[in-house]
Amino acid sequence: MKPVEVETSKEKTESGTKFKASISFPLFGYILKRILLFIPTLFIISLLTFILISIAPGDPAETMLNRNSGGGEGGQATNKMATEKSYQQLRHKLGLDLPLFYFTLSNGAACDTLNRIPQKDHRETLDRLIYDYGNWPQVSEYYRSTRNLEWKILTSERDSLNANALIELRNNISKLFITHNDRLIESVFSKIEKDVNETSTLAALKAPTAKAKADYEKMKSEQTVWKRYIPTIFWNGSNNQYHRWLLGDAKWFGGETDPTKTFGFLRGDFGISFFTKRPVGSVIWDSLMITMLISLLVIVIEYLIAIPLGVAAAVRRNSAFDSISTVTLFVLYSLPNFWIGTMAIFFLASPDYVELFPPAFGLSGINWQDGFFLKLGDMAYDLALPIIIASYASFAYLSRQMRGSMLSILRQDYIRTAFAKGLEPKKVFWKHAFRNSLLPIITIFAYFFPALIGGSIILEYLFNIPGLGQVTYAAVIQKDYPMILTTTMFAAILTLVGYLVADILYAVVDPRISYSKKA
Amino acid sequence: MAEEKEEKKPDQGYWAYVWRQFKKNKTAVVSLYVVIFLVLIAIFAPFLANEKPLICKYHGETYFPVVKDVAVGFGIGQFKPEFQNVNWRKLDYDYVIFPPVPYLPMNQDNDNVHSKGPFDEQVIESKRWKHWFGTDELGRDVLAGMIHGTSIAMTVGIVSMAIASLIGIILGALAGFFGDDNFRISRVRLWGNFLFLYFAFFYAFGTRSYAITDALGQSIGGGVLQLLISFLIFIAVMALGNLLCYPLKKIGVLGKQVSVPFDLIISRSIEVLNSIPTLFLILLIIAIVRKPNLYVIMAIIGLTGWTGIARFIRAELLRIRSLEYIEAAQSLGYSNMRILFRHAIPNSLSPVLISIAFGIASAILTESTLSFLGLGPADTVTWGALLSYARQIPQAWWLAIFPGFAIFITVTVFNLIGEGLTDAMDPRLKQ
Repeated sequence: MKPVEVETSKEKTESGTKFKASISFPLFGYILKRILLFIPTLFIISLLTFILISIAPGDPAETMLNRNSGGGEGGQATNKMATEKSYQQLRHKLGLDLPLFYFTLSNGAACDTLNRIPQKDHRETLDRLIYDYGNWPQVSEYYRSTRNLEWKILTSERDSLNANALIELRNNISKLFITHNDRLIESVFSKIEKDVNETSTLAALKAPTAKAKADYEKMKSEQTVWKRYIPTIFWNGSNNQYHRWLLGDAKWFGGETDPTKTFGFLRGDFGISFFTKRPVGSVIWDSLMITMLISLLVIVIEYLIAIPLGVAAAVRRNSAFDSISTVTLFVLYSLPNFWIGTMAIFFLASPDYVELFPPAFGLSGINWQDGFFLKLGDMAYDLALPIIIASYASFAYLSRQMRGSMLSILRQDYIRTAFAKGLEPKKVFWKHAFRNSLLPIITIFAYFFPALIGGSIILEYLFNIPGLGQVTYAAVIQKDYPMILTTTMFAAILTLVGYLVADILYAVVDPRISYSKKA
Repeated sequence: MAEEKEEKKPDQGYWAYVWRQFKKNKTAVVSLYVVIFLVLIAIFAPFLANEKPLICKYHGETYFPVVKDVAVGFGIGQFKPEFQNVNWRKLDYDYVIFPPVPYLPMNQDNDNVHSKGPFDEQVIESKRWKHWFGTDELGRDVLAGMIHGTSIAMTVGIVSMAIASLIGIILGALAGFFGDDNFRISRVRLWGNFLFLYFAFFYAFGTRSYAITDALGQSIGGGVLQLLISFLIFIAVMALGNLLCYPLKKIGVLGKQVSVPFDLIISRSIEVLNSIPTLFLILLIIAIVRKPNLYVIMAIIGLTGWTGIARFIRAELLRIRSLEYIEAAQSLGYSNMRILFRHAIPNSLSPVLISIAFGIASAILTESTLSFLGLGPADTVTWGALLSYARQIPQAWWLAIFPGFAIFITVTVFNLIGEGLTDAMDPRLKQ
C-alpha cells in the first residue's frame, strides 16, 4: 500500500474530481458485468437446490392430499379410484409427472416414463422390479394386468358367499404393489388363486388372475438383466420439471388463459406452497421486506457505533479505555446470540423478572391502521431487542477490525510525516488515518450482509418475527419444498447483491481502485 | 513466513518457535488447559454421569458396570440377564460407588418432573442424588445432559472440522498450486476423464444401488463391504479409462497438451457455496434428510464448511509455488504430485491450524444453533437442545444459563486459541 494522502487539500480535490469523471462510466460497466456474472452462479445454485429437493424422500402430492382429507380409508372401489384420480390430477398440476431435467442419465433397462405412475410406492416397486429383471415391457405388462385384477376385485359384487374371500383378496392384491420379493409374490398369487377358485361367485376373476400370474412368470423368464449395464441418455426436451419451474410452460406473449399453466421463477411465479397452498411469492415478499429492513437497520447501527469506538480505542492505544473495550468486545463477539437472545427474552422481556421490552411476539404489537409515527414508535419498541441482539456480535467484530486497521495505518510513515509537519492530531487521525483505515471495514460489509441473512433464521425464530428466516424455518419443518427452493434462491440473490455493493463501495472509497482495467 | 524465522534461529524448528510464542500468551495457554479439560470430560462422560455404578459388589461378586456399558456400546460382550432392564439404584449391593452424577441425560427421574431448579425442593433420598443443575420438564438431569453434551460438542467440532480441512486442503492446494494453466494433460485425457467419471459412478453406484441399500439394510458390515466393492469398481473403471488414453494420445489432435483449469473450477465452486448463507444451506440439506442423526449433522457441517480453509491454502500455495525450493524440486525432476504433497502442502499447513481452531468454534456453534432450532441430532441431548427447553418454561432459569454458558465458554476458548496461534505465527510481532 502506498501513501496517497500527503498532498495539499487543493490537489486532492482536483484528483477527486478527475477520479469521479474517469470512474463513473467504467464502474457502471463493471456493475453490469458483475450482474451478468450472477447468472451462471444463480443457475448453478438453482440447479443444485432443485436436485437436492427432488431427491428428498416423501411425495409432495401425497403430503398435500393427506393434509386435505386426513388420509382416505380407501376401501371402497369408487372411493379409492376417486382418491387416485385426484392424486393424479394434483401431480399433473404440480408438474410431478414430468421428467426432472432436460435429459435423464440412466441405464438400458430403465423406463423413462415411470414418473407418470402416480403412486409413490408403486413407482418404487416397479423401479426395483426393473432393476431385478431388466425388462420394462414385461414389467409394465405385469403391472397393467395386476392393476386390472385389482380393479376387477374392487368392483366385484359382494354377496353372502364371497364376503370373506373378497376382503382377503383386497388385502392380498394391494401387497403385490409394494413388494418385489419373489417368494412373497408367489405366495400372494397362490392365495389369490385359492380364493378365486374356491369361491363360486368369483369365477369372473379367474381369467385376470391367470393373466397376471402368466405375466409375472413371463417377466421372470424373459429377464434381460444385462441391459442394466448399458448407460443411456434419454432426451426429455423442454417438457421437464426444471424447465417448468424456471421458465414456466405458459405462453410468453399474448396472455395465458389456461390457469393450470405456470409462469416460472424468472417470470415471478414461485409455485404454490405445499402447506398453505398460497402462491409462494405473496408469502415471501412480505417476509423479505421485514428481513431487509432489520438487516439494513442493524448494519447502519453497527457501523455508526463500531467505527468511532474502534478509532477511539486505536487512538488511545494501551490506555485503560483500550484494554477494557478490547476485552469487552472479545467477550461480546464470543457470546452466542441465541443464548443472549434467550436470556434477554427470559429476563428482560418477561413479567417474571424485568419487563423492559415487549414479550417476543414479533410485530404483533403494531396496529397497521395507526398513523405513521405511531406505527414507527411501535415498530421501534418491538424491534429494539431483536436489533440489539442481531448487532452486538458483529458490532464487536467490526470495532475490533476498525481498531486493528487504524493501528496499522497509524504505524505508516506518512502519518509520522503528518505529525512532523505539525498538523493537529485531530486532523491527522480523522483526515489521514481514518479514511485509509476504512477500506478493510468496508470489505467486511460483504460478509456481514450474508451473515445477517443467515442469522435471520435464528433471530426471527427467537423473536417470532415473520421474516425470511422464519418462513424458511417453517418450510424446513413442514418440508414445504417450493418454499425452501424460493427462500434459498432469494437468500443467494441477496448475498450476491451484498458482495456487489461491497465492491462498489470499495471503489467509491478508494480512488486507486479502478475496475475498468480488470478483465 | 517460515523460512525467515529459520534463518535467524537455525537451531530451532518452526513449531518449537510457534510453541514458545504461543506460551507467552497467557490467555491462550489458559484456553488450551480449558480445552484439555473439556476433552477429558468428553472422553470420560460415561464415567462422570451414569445411572450404573462405577464399582459394585453384588451377591459376592465385584462388577464394573460402567466399563461394561462402554464395552457393550462398542459391541463387545453383553450384560448378564440378571442386569438387563433393572433399576440399578434399587439393587441390593454389598457395597457400591456411583459416578459423581448418578443420572443419564436421556432418562427421566419421575420424582422430579416439571423442571425442578437447583434451589427448589427436590424429591430425593439424600444430597447424593441431588440434581445440582436442576431437571427439565420431563425430569431429566441437566448436569448429566451438560456432561454428555460436552462429548457431543467436542465430537462435532473435531470430526466436522476434520472433514472440512481434508476437503479444503486438497481442493485449495490443487487450485493454488496448479492455478489455471500449470497442470497439463493431453486433451483426450481431460475430456475422457469426465466421461470415465460418469462411467465409474454408473458402474460403481448406479447399477449397484439396490445391492448396496439391501446390504446396508441387513447389516452395517455387509453394507460397508458392498460400498468397498463399489469403490474398487470406481477406481478400476477410472484406471482402465486412463490406460485406454495412452494409445489414443498418439493421434495428433487428441494428444495435444491442454491445461486443466483447476483454479477456475474450484474458485467458482467456492463462490457458489459462499453465495448461499451457510445456515440456509444446512437447513436445505436437513430438510431432505429423513432423520438427522449426529453423523449426518457432522457430515453436513463438514461438507459446507471447507471453503474458508480452501481459500486460505490456495492463497498460501500461490505464494509457495514461486519459491526457490519448489523450483529446485522441479529441476530435480520430481513429479508435480510429489512436490505438491511432500513439499508444498506441509509448508502451508501452519496457517490452516488457525482456521481449524476458529472452525471448531464455529462448528460447535452451528451444531448448537441447529439443536436450539430443534433440528439437531434427535437421539442425543446436546447443549443447544437443553437451551431450547428454556424457551418453553419461563421459570427454569437454570435451563437458560448453564447450557448457554457451556457453549459460550467452549466457543470462546477455541477462538482464543485461534487468536493465540495467529499472534504466535505472525512475524510482525517477532522481536
